[in-house]
Amino acid sequence: MSEPRPVVLVANRGEIAARIVAAAKRIGAESVVAVSAADVDSLAARAADRVLVIGPASAARSYLRPELVAQAAVMAGATVVHPGYGFLSEQPRLCELLEEEGIAFAGPRPETLRAVGDKGSARAVAIAAGVPVAAGRLIDDVADVAGLGAEVGYPLLIKAIHGGGGRGIRLVTTEAELFALAPQAAQEAEAAFGNGDLYLERYYGSARHVEVQVFGDGEGGALIFGDRDCSVQRRHQKLIEECPAPDISEARRAVLHDSSRALVAALRYRGAGTVEFLVDTLSDDIVFLEVNARIQVEHPVTEEAFGIDLVAAQLLLALGRPTGLPVVPALPPASAIEVRINAEDPSADFAPNAGVVSGVVWPKGPGIRIETQIDSGFDFPPYYDSLMAKLIVRAHDREAAVSAMLAAVRNTTIEPLATTLPLLDAVLAHPDFRAGSVPTSWFGEHAAALTGGTP
Amino acid sequence: MAQDSTPTWQDLLDLVTQLTESDLESASVSFGDISVSISRTGELPSLAAASAAPGASAATAPSTPAATVAAAPAATTSGPAITAPMLGVFYRRPSPGADPFVAPGDAVEPDTTIGIIEIMKLMNPVVAGTTGVIASFAVEDGTAVQFGETLALLEPAAP
Repeated sequence: MSEPRPVVLVANRGEIAARIVAAAKRIGAESVVAVSAADVDSLAARAADRVLVIGPASAARSYLRPELVAQAAVMAGATVVHPGYGFLSEQPRLCELLEEEGIAFAGPRPETLRAVGDKGSARAVAIAAGVPVAAGRLIDDVADVAGLGAEVGYPLLIKAIHGGGGRGIRLVTTEAELFALAPQAAQEAEAAFGNGDLYLERYYGSARHVEVQVFGDGEGGALIFGDRDCSVQRRHQKLIEECPAPDISEARRAVLHDSSRALVAALRYRGAGTVEFLVDTLSDDIVFLEVNARIQVEHPVTEEAFGIDLVAAQLLLALGRPTGLPVVPALPPASAIEVRINAEDPSADFAPNAGVVSGVVWPKGPGIRIETQIDSGFDFPPYYDSLMAKLIVRAHDREAAVSAMLAAVRNTTIEPLATTLPLLDAVLAHPDFRAGSVPTSWFGEHAAALTGGTP
Repeated sequence: MAQDSTPTWQDLLDLVTQLTESDLESASVSFGDISVSISRTGELPSLAAASAAPGASAATAPSTPAATVAAAPAATTSGPAITAPMLGVFYRRPSPGADPFVAPGDAVEPDTTIGIIEIMKLMNPVVAGTTGVIASFAVEDGTAVQFGETLALLEPAAP
């Protein structure tokens, strides 16, 4: 019995759309990309078997509309929809619309997306699964906080329960400060959010961002594909990622992987996901941050280090076929690093730029992989995020991978737009980065030197 | 709003027209067994001047889509075109057998409804977006269309 050739609808743009088209080809499926009018001539559209224009350039009227994507899937005769990252990838509405049409969604179930979709419910799921979370206490009485402060430990953050977007947060380093600031913070929270309730949370001022790649079978079974360090960040935007995370003891790695496995089992998680943690550099603490219920930008480092294809596996799982993913050891047999090349000018406060790119030259050599949406002559659109390309390098160990990546960055040319390449060069050449792990605060502290001038 | 008797298509059309002229972003209405959802997608008046119509590269190698996707015709007309404001299924008439919203020879204003685009059971009215006289329709009733595809052509403006 021969099954009909599956049809994959790609509900995304940029480099990840091209990546999904490649995975569709790899599994012998037909690919259809749903694009905005600005992306009709994108690399993904050129590589796909078919293209459907769903709306105008504005993402709010194209890529962010679940019903347009579902309609495109119906019109394309799609078997499965892959949402990529961002846009609709974690919106339960798209999965539900597709479910009604009998079209598979290459991602977790809608109820999983809801359970991990906000920090409060994700934290509750983590606690129930026995995953370590940052110590936190609700304040009952702002005049009696000494005991709570001692339980949480210093430094700590006072957070307004109804705050958000970084507002209503104060850093406290001593008990005396807590006594002084707690009543003040309550008054301010009352004024700003109409609710003066406060929460104390342990603050990690020098922590690393380490995340675990999981792949769940949807029944509680989990495959763990090692970990990634993504601590080189500018204002919470990752610049460089690597697999495995360097300088992690066997015991800590076991906590990271076992916690992630417990979360996958508790959620009966389906498909590829990432469990993010803070790994403190000043104590032994490891705390859960969040679950990213999608494929991530930095998935290729895991693929390269372990020799797997996560995107193809997502499609195969959604199609009800064997994924072919192996059971792997905690540490991969190779080291892989990824850098993000963004159309931003590091010497001008990372101002984004757009326009026709020319003279695109990629590095060549063993272990080099390029995931991109650009080539020479491509008109880089101004409407979307600035990620032009990801450069991934694999080598036998971290030192070799860092050296190979530095050479690869120096042998990459993209003209005439300003890009983050000079910045990546500076980080890769920096003795702190070459020596091993850095905390997430590192880039900000060295930004002036790394961007070659103004902080 | 709910009502016991089953509505005629004219009732629904009147409703669509009423809602089109209102400020509502979206509305859901049920009449007995029938429910209708309408959503406004904004910026409708500018659609006639829609950007980048899908050219030859759109609808590349149409193999066997579930619905017929019209190939974007080459725009070789002297008159202005009314293009699809979104992907979906285009209907020229409120129901099978009913009169079309507008026919060739009819004068239209920017807010004249010329058809409906259905997206996952949501009915989106399509307005002319410009003033003129309909010369011809480029797609049949019930055709799956992409964003930017020409739906109708207008007579060239008088010199």
